Amino acid sequence: MLQVANERITGSNAQATVVECRYLTKVYEKLLASHKRAVRALNGVSLSVRRGQIVGLIGPNGAGKSTLLNLIAGLIFPTDGEVTVCGHPARSVQAHRSLGYMPEHPVFLGGYSARATLRYHAALLGLSRAAIARQVDESVQRLQMQEFVDRPCADFSQGMKQRLALGVAMLNDPQLLLLDEPSNGLDPVGIIQLRDLLKKLRDAGAAIVISSHRLGELEKLTSDYMFMHHGEIITFGDKAVASQAGRLLVGLESGGPRLAEALLPTSKVLEASETELALAVDDPAEVPDIVAKLARGGARITSVMLQHEDIEETFLRLCNEGKQ
Amino acid sequence: MRAYELVKETFWRRRSIWIVHVLWLSLYLMFWWLYYPDPEEFGGLLFLCGGFLLPLALGAGILGDDIASGRICVVLTRPLRPGTLFSYRLLGLSLQAAVHFMLAGIVILAFHVVTGKGSTEGLALWLFLSWLLFNTWAALSTSSSVLVKRSQNSLLLLVASVTVGIVINFLIWHLRDYAVGDVLKGFLRYCFPPYGLLTDLGKGEFEEKNVALAGLHLPRTLVYAVHSLLLTVVYAVPGILIFRKKQFLSERD
Repeated sequence: MLQVANERITGSNAQATVVECRYLTKVYEKLLASHKRAVRALNGVSLSVRRGQIVGLIGPNGAGKSTLLNLIAGLIFPTDGEVTVCGHPARSVQAHRSLGYMPEHPVFLGGYSARATLRYHAALLGLSRAAIARQVDESVQRLQMQEFVDRPCADFSQGMKQRLALGVAMLNDPQLLLLDEPSNGLDPVGIIQLRDLLKKLRDAGAAIVISSHRLGELEKLTSDYMFMHHGEIITFGDKAVASQAGRLLVGLESGGPRLAEALLPTSKVLEASETELALAVDDPAEVPDIVAKLARGGARITSVMLQHEDIEETFLRLCNEGKQ
Repeated sequence: MRAYELVKETFWRRRSIWIVHVLWLSLYLMFWWLYYPDPEEFGGLLFLCGGFLLPLALGAGILGDDIASGRICVVLTRPLRPGTLFSYRLLGLSLQAAVHFMLAGIVILAFHVVTGKGSTEGLALWLFLSWLLFNTWAALSTSSSVLVKRSQNSLLLLVASVTVGIVINFLIWHLRDYAVGDVLKGFLRYCFPPYGLLTDLGKGEFEEKNVALAGLHLPRTLVYAVHSLLLTVVYAVPGILIFRKKQFLSERD
């Protein structure tokens, strides 16, 4: 059974909470379709994101990450539950004053240049002419778009579109930034620049929610992860919690599968060969107990090694647990 | 600045928009050059091409394109009500048409001055009436664009309007001896895009220049213009209401 840990990280000060989701459920139904065609994309998800926090959304395809982002952005309505941004309903004009959103596949008017696109979105924010000019120049500088800022968007590569989409999302320094696969199409220099930029925004007090499949990148960036699977949050914790989980390698003289079956719960056993057991541990304090149990059960132990999981391994482990 | 950018967007959202304007103006000029029409004949052309086909051409995918491509998702995360976006798209179409008909008038007038052929009497009125008719079809086009993907709203509207027109006219003829036939006539005249009313206005075939309405005697032109603008609003309201409640997916997981 999945261990669902919807740990709510809430700021002690209510004003520090930027996003608040309560028991969010989203069911997609086709019009005139039978009940069987309804898809439950989110199931009772609750979370809070506060100022100065970067949250990484991780999960396999179909986990509910984009649905959650769409709900927070106010693009879709929840079937049940509620979501607020800076204290306002997600779809309200007030919520959108504080919001910057970047979809996975950004689309722009082909005939507009990057500058015109930035000007358009800055105008939609209700800025004055002088403020628009200032914001556009800042965005161009920040995202290194000088080379292509006056070219039509129809001629853009994927990386250029990503930079422009980031620039659009970051206009006027929003309090909440929702990014869906922000590093798609960016070269390594661009990825590093993006990381630095997001850290600066975080330090300035913005809350950032990133959905990404680039787990290595997220690991360098986020302080909090949210693992999602089948529309639920599997675990929500900070980096320290995620990396406490480990992989225990126990070397044996023989009888690995027999010992594993007899002495250990199935969910703990990652791999079992004749001469080595790979076990999942949530806490290093479990190691002595596991080793003692194996020894009492007749195992002839040759070596014990604890490897800490990186985020990729944690992700795979949680997905495997979810399948069981 | 917001209003300016929202209206400007309707002019620049597709390169084909300018091709449509140039083609239509060329068509007017060619018709005038070949036939030296009287105002009524030219008015008929304006109503068909400028009042009916032009809004379908310019309004194709006016919202449907953005919805299908996902561009709408970023636009609607701005502090902007969906109804506001809808209204500015319609306003942009209306302004395009105003510029279009003014240019048409200038081109025809210039041609008339140079060649001395044809009659421009009543041309300004017909251009104004075409603009009124344009607005009603533009509102229908924008509303249908909320529901139908990409540019299919225009095709749908074209087929639907022709079909409905044929069916209702057949019913009117078939039921001409019954009271329900008069009801259908009234329905077609006052609830559909006001082609009949505006044509009568352009021809000037009235005994009375004023219309008695709620105890007031108002100029017929004013009454018919207000009726046309009210119809525009009535056609736009369902689109706004649906657009406000619509959900937009940037991606499905």
